Amino acid sequence: MKTISNIAMNTFVKETGGYVAAQLEACTRCGMCADACHFYVATGNPEYAPVWKIELLKRAYEQRFTLSGKIKLALGVDKPVTDEDIQKFSKIVYEACTMCNKCSMVCPMGLQLGPLIHEVRTSMSNAGVVPDDLMKAVNKQVEEGSPLGVTDDVYDDRIEWVADEWEVDIPVDVKGADTLVVFSSIEVMKFPENIAAIAKILNTAGEKWTLSTAGREVVNFGFYEGSEERTKMFMQRIFDAAKELGVKKIVVTECGHAYDALRWTSYNMMEVPAGIEITHIVGLIGEYVRSGKIKLKAGAFDNGVITFHDACKIQRRGGHIKEPREILKILAPNSFKEMSPSKEQAICCGGGGGVIAIKEADPVRYAAFELKIDQMKAVGADAVVMSCSNCRLQFTDCVQHFNLDIKVKGLSQMVADALEER
Amino acid sequence: MAEDSICSELKKEGMSRRGFLKFCGLVAGAMSFTMLPPIEGLTDVRGVQVPMKHGTIEMVAKALQTKQRLPVIWMEFQDCAGCSEALTRSKSPTLVDLVLNKITVEYHETLTAAAGFQTEEAKLAAMQKYAGQYILVVEGSVTDLDDGIYCTIGGKSSMELLREAAAGAAAIVATGNCAAFGGLPRAKPNPTGALGVYEVIKDKPVVNIPGCPAIPEVFTGVLAQFLVFGTLPELDALHRPKNFYGTAIHDRCLRRPFYDAGKFALSFDDEGAKKGYCLYKLGCKGPTTYNSCATLKWSGGLSFPIQSGHPCLGCSEPNFWDGGGFYQGQSAPISKPTGTVAAAAVAAGVAIAAGVGMANVAQKKAAHSADKEEEE
Amino acid sequence: MNWTAVLEFARGPFFKVALLVFIAGMAYRIARIIMLGWTKDRVPPRGSKVEGAAISFLKGILIWPFIPWVKDTFKRNPIIYIAGGLFHLGLFVVLILGTAHMLVWKSLLGFGWATLPLPIVDWLAAVAIVAMIVLFIHRLTNPVMRLISGWPEWLNLLFVFLPMVTGYMMTHHLFFRYEVLFSLHMLSVNVMLIWIPISRISHFVFYFFSKAIHGADFGKRSVSP
Repeated sequence: MKTISNIAMNTFVKETGGYVAAQLEACTRCGMCADACHFYVATGNPEYAPVWKIELLKRAYEQRFTLSGKIKLALGVDKPVTDEDIQKFSKIVYEACTMCNKCSMVCPMGLQLGPLIHEVRTSMSNAGVVPDDLMKAVNKQVEEGSPLGVTDDVYDDRIEWVADEWEVDIPVDVKGADTLVVFSSIEVMKFPENIAAIAKILNTAGEKWTLSTAGREVVNFGFYEGSEERTKMFMQRIFDAAKELGVKKIVVTECGHAYDALRWTSYNMMEVPAGIEITHIVGLIGEYVRSGKIKLKAGAFDNGVITFHDACKIQRRGGHIKEPREILKILAPNSFKEMSPSKEQAICCGGGGGVIAIKEADPVRYAAFELKIDQMKAVGADAVVMSCSNCRLQFTDCVQHFNLDIKVKGLSQMVADALEER
Repeated sequence: MAEDSICSELKKEGMSRRGFLKFCGLVAGAMSFTMLPPIEGLTDVRGVQVPMKHGTIEMVAKALQTKQRLPVIWMEFQDCAGCSEALTRSKSPTLVDLVLNKITVEYHETLTAAAGFQTEEAKLAAMQKYAGQYILVVEGSVTDLDDGIYCTIGGKSSMELLREAAAGAAAIVATGNCAAFGGLPRAKPNPTGALGVYEVIKDKPVVNIPGCPAIPEVFTGVLAQFLVFGTLPELDALHRPKNFYGTAIHDRCLRRPFYDAGKFALSFDDEGAKKGYCLYKLGCKGPTTYNSCATLKWSGGLSFPIQSGHPCLGCSEPNFWDGGGFYQGQSAPISKPTGTVAAAAVAAGVAIAAGVGMANVAQKKAAHSADKEEEE
Repeated sequence: MNWTAVLEFARGPFFKVALLVFIAGMAYRIARIIMLGWTKDRVPPRGSKVEGAAISFLKGILIWPFIPWVKDTFKRNPIIYIAGGLFHLGLFVVLILGTAHMLVWKSLLGFGWATLPLPIVDWLAAVAIVAMIVLFIHRLTNPVMRLISGWPEWLNLLFVFLPMVTGYMMTHHLFFRYEVLFSLHMLSVNVMLIWIPISRISHFVFYFFSKAIHGADFGKRSVSP
């Protein structure tokens, strides 16, 4: 029986190529990344410094691949990685990191700490040391197709209900459609109005789109877990559906990490069907507005102060920074105020990366959100809008927890509400 | 030895009391004399120790009134006789006159008119007569390689001659870089195994007066001190008199303000050179060279290399011929790997990396298959 | 003690060996990392990776060292930004624009260049030394720094501090004779040269790897790095 540390070290070794090694070598232990991490800033716990989160990866690299590391280990100057280490660090990398990657923007050497921490999660996953709550959700997605238990039957029922309730056309399993739209089960279960909104926008723009029952879940809890096997499994379901329906485009709706996985990671993990473009609903809506496919009522939301929360995986890690601003300039030219910092420097909501699914992480999650409260107070925001439903879940939960007087809105919904009929 | 004191000799030549005191002042200045702690054991040689409570000039006067002429044996080995030449051409007549005339140069290879075995015998006779009292001046380096065949006089090797002459000397003055540190003969590849005197003679005080040549006034100043007081000046770690070799050229150089201001001549006779800018970028070794060139200067205070536009060679320092090159910056390393050797180092590094790298890749492969096994 | 002989040794054979160890060691480190393999990135880019890398370098060299407050994290820990920046500024000016060092490069490379007047270089050297002391104190007192610093980090500070301090002393002829200070300077420089390839001071080379990776990763996503 291999021990936890054996398996984890094995994975560290497997994962370490030139990309990882060059960056581990570049780190100067300057500690500047800590100030970019909302978990460290909120709690003052030095173990939450991003550089510390990759400590085991660094130790594995030094002790297995470098002469000096091997010598230090042999002389007893460095300690080997133990099972206790794995347990301790597992808690840190799953509960006190959302992989928002703001740390990489502050690091003077430009270390991509987010992706490196992801590698650590992969080792934890292989060693089977993952927080229970997260694993439960992962297994649910494996068995039922969604971490929130949205089976194909539940899905079809919900979609039918949404179409009915909001009186909007929602095509499902339409072969030969141009575009496959994949929702997150968070939207399906918690923000069904989002589905209606997006459907309305797509229809108004004249998009030949469809949903897919088989490819119904864009959320990827395998990605949170860091498991290569399950990340691929969940994406494969979507790609299979896309191939089956013969679409040319896949649209990820208001979910962040799903975009990171599908658009920016899948190609390096698996065979992605050729000739299919992958984009995010924010990008698509932005295109519609620019090209005039949809027209928005100017100033429809000019009321009080409204600010935008940049989702780490859609804005900083996704590139869709301009589109929300262009949209909000139309919808709330006088009310829209930028938070500071924002755009690619934005502070994470604190709920991403699977953190919101882990009960034990609640205290640090709420602590981290206090940074967002300060930001919103600083601009005097009455409302905050975002393009990720996980962020929306976090904001909604925290607004309740802290008893805040702030409205939490989804961008697609705002667009849908301000659509000028054709 | 019923010989006259120096003072009475000067009187005999017609010097007045006033003239004598002026002369003493000159001599004191020549020794860059402020305080003279005597070297133990030498005061007996030249007679009465002069008490320190007198003023400077009085001390010199007192000494000259009691001292007699100083015998000197001057040996040349692997040399160019430049130090002797410089001395004879020195333009401070009074002082040099004192030294050359008030010292009896019992033997000097270049200056002596006579030659041959008789001169050698005369030397040996003088060494016996003045045993324990004479100053041995050495010019040129000694050589020990191959039984000393690279420098012989009258069939005897330089090492033998040096040891023989040093045995009866009160003190040894090694004049010029060659006698002090090996000089030009020692430059790479040092085919004769040239040595400085103080590396060979360990049981007698050796004063080094390095320079290429030695500044004549420095040499005479040291000798004057011994002549007058029977003492040798305080020496630094390289046996050089601190009063003449205590400051670096850089710290007394007239072009120093240009160094500080960052104004350098970039090539000989360029704009900067014509304006008298610092010669640091042309390879001046001023910062690490200790000598009196910048203060005493040469040719009776006329000029010195930097003043005339040439960077200091560092000729009073050991191994200045191998100091990296006369026109290479003073701060540059004196030993560096050639391009080929550096390339070889890169190759060596890459080769070791290849070995380690292959082991690493194998480790990764093993990790992959271990994982696959787990799955199965 | 014959410091002239020590100086000859430190500037001569010891320097030669130290430089060769440095060259071989850095070649080894770089080659070893490259040999760990690079997988091809099959993700279709949205923006230019090359442009991203270029902007990453430009920002890192031209903007952030001089106006660090454009990063919002500056407010939380201004000391390390300022001290770190001033240290590197002083270091580069002294090593490249200082006359004494330029002559070293000239002897190694075969060509030289114009340099700054001594008072400017000297002042920046003093600033760099003070900055190093501040960084040392920061590493001693900041909880994150205490957690992540081991003896290699302390030695890094020491082996870089010694050449700087001895160089400064040399320039000002402080306390000891010039050849003593020059010897100490060369000895500490040689020790540093040997230490660099086995430590994180080599980051000045890996900087180019990690910044390029960073810029490309951001440029790919069409985000400003």
